[in-house]
Amino acid sequence: MRTKMIATVLILAAGMATAQARSSIWDGVYSDAQADRGRTSYMQNCSRCHGASLMGTYEIPPLVGRIMPYYAGSGLDALFDYISTAMPLDHPGALSPATNADIVAYILKSNDLPSGSKELTAAGTKAISFDAAKPRAKKK
Amino acid sequence: MDRRHLLKNTLALGGLAGLSSLPAAAQSARPAVLMPIRAHADRIYDIKCCIRPFRTKGPNLSVEHVGDATVIHNYGHHGSGWCLSWGSADMQVQKAMSFGTRKIAVVGSGVIGLTTAVQALRAGMEVTIYTRELLPRTRSYRANGVWGPGTVALASEAQAGLGDIWEQMCRVSWKNFRPYMGMAGNPIAWSEHYELSDTPFDAKSSAPLTMANGEPAPVFYDMGNRLGDITSIPEVLTPDLNPFPGVKYARHSTKMFWNFSEYGHLLTTEFFARGGKIVMRDFHSPDELAHLPEKVIINCPGYAAHDWWRDKAMIPVRGQTEWLIPQPEVNYGFTYRNVETRSKSDGVMVIAIGPEQFAKSWKNSNEIASRAEAEGAVKVVAELMSRFPTRPA
Ligand SMILES: Cc1cc2nc3c(=O)[nH]c(=O)nc-3n(C[C@H](O)[C@H](O)[C@H](O)COP(=O)(O)OP(=O)(O)OC[C@H]3O[C@@H](n4cnc5c(N)ncnc54)[C@H](O)[C@@H]3O)c2cc1C
Repeated sequence: MRTKMIATVLILAAGMATAQARSSIWDGVYSDAQADRGRTSYMQNCSRCHGASLMGTYEIPPLVGRIMPYYAGSGLDALFDYISTAMPLDHPGALSPATNADIVAYILKSNDLPSGSKELTAAGTKAISFDAAKPRAKKK
Repeated sequence: MDRRHLLKNTLALGGLAGLSSLPAAAQSARPAVLMPIRAHADRIYDIKCCIRPFRTKGPNLSVEHVGDATVIHNYGHHGSGWCLSWGSADMQVQKAMSFGTRKIAVVGSGVIGLTTAVQALRAGMEVTIYTRELLPRTRSYRANGVWGPGTVALASEAQAGLGDIWEQMCRVSWKNFRPYMGMAGNPIAWSEHYELSDTPFDAKSSAPLTMANGEPAPVFYDMGNRLGDITSIPEVLTPDLNPFPGVKYARHSTKMFWNFSEYGHLLTTEFFARGGKIVMRDFHSPDELAHLPEKVIINCPGYAAHDWWRDKAMIPVRGQTEWLIPQPEVNYGFTYRNVETRSKSDGVMVIAIGPEQFAKSWKNSNEIASRAEAEGAVKVVAELMSRFPTRPA
């Protein structure tokens, strides 16, 4: 009985280790200070098309709301890479990786995703899943 | 078939009243009576901005494999997507059918994607469209929308046989547009068009054009004179037949155009009536196509191929149309001082055109509507209209 329990604990611990290696956008993957910087960069570079409220226009896509199902199932790097290579539409690729990471942080915040203590980095986006809803197993 | 003969014979048979694109000699010796366009900035009710999907090699019609999925491309139709839609759809649907499947996916719901989907349904296939926008929100809906297929490649990069492929697309499309003519709501209509100039048409400036980014003007693939029988050739109007006061030179033709709302509605209705399905979805990398249940996919993303397929042969060419409140009584359009107008069911369309406009548009992916550009274009129309005598009260 005891050995069984220990084995189970070990397996759970192993499971947690892999879960930590791949985190979710729900795990507080950006900081509030970063989202604030992201807001400034967003207002300078993105808002003239996507709007100050990120709601887009009839022709320009919103960055709140439907972004959740549209990116669900990808890594956060899909959003980061798209912004890095295709945006701003009239000067694609003009912003630095750090600025783009800040903008992604601001978009996450605008979609009510929780902030945390660490900053999001360009390289870090690869290990973060874009889950449309908070993954159950990771409830804290 | 000679178009002039076609028109003459049609009139002789009493059909198509109002078509007056006849050689001057055959017309009644009176200028047409034109209703003025109410061109004021405060009648601009919409400004639409869009990117033409130019591809240096010509439209991508190639087939490639992503995992176990076969992807048949259908994008890069530059300023001629409406004109080429059915022909391009037909070519790519035939390719899809050659893989022996009855179930296909179409990516995109612009005029190319939706037409491709309808064409596949007509051919008896089961079709699911995956798209992030429906037709009214696509770039297709922000076009001018007139028949007059133009070049779709650079001279130096055009794929072999492009002229023949393009002609085939144009001719198949033309036949497919035919059943929409005369339908209620005029999904496809015709109007008189006047090219106007203050200087003789053959005295154009020969100064080499430089693009806004400093590059020399691109040299386009010449499509040649292939469509003389299905494209209206302008005829010079003698001064006594020129209806525009104060305009020295005028040419006249008759142009076919799309009323997007009606035409788009018919395409969409047919798509659903034949059992087509739409899934709203945004793809981020080509690999995602391998996970679709359909294993044959026709890819119609338009300019978005630049980013989602990383196709660097795609070049953005900006364009903008301004829309004045509809005037059904205006049954003509004109081109004058680098502005074109066309009276459509949903408004009088005004667009800045010409070499200078092109220089600003080439490699320009700024898709924000410019109110200044809109008002500038409407001003040209207003000035021309101000020359018409006001009617007595
Ligand atoms: C000002 C202007 C005037 C024009 N005038 C004419 C004219 O008079 N005659 C003419 O024939 N042509 C004209 N054109 C050109 C014509 O509009 C285009 O060639 C045509 O719209 C291209 O259609 P499309 O379906 O390929 O692209 P789009 O209309 O851009 O459609 C692309 C579709 O793919 C979807 N999509 C893209 N990427 C993704 C993705 N990653 N995931 C999911 N979905 C995706 C989009 O949501 C959309 O539904 C004009 C264009 C402009 C800008």
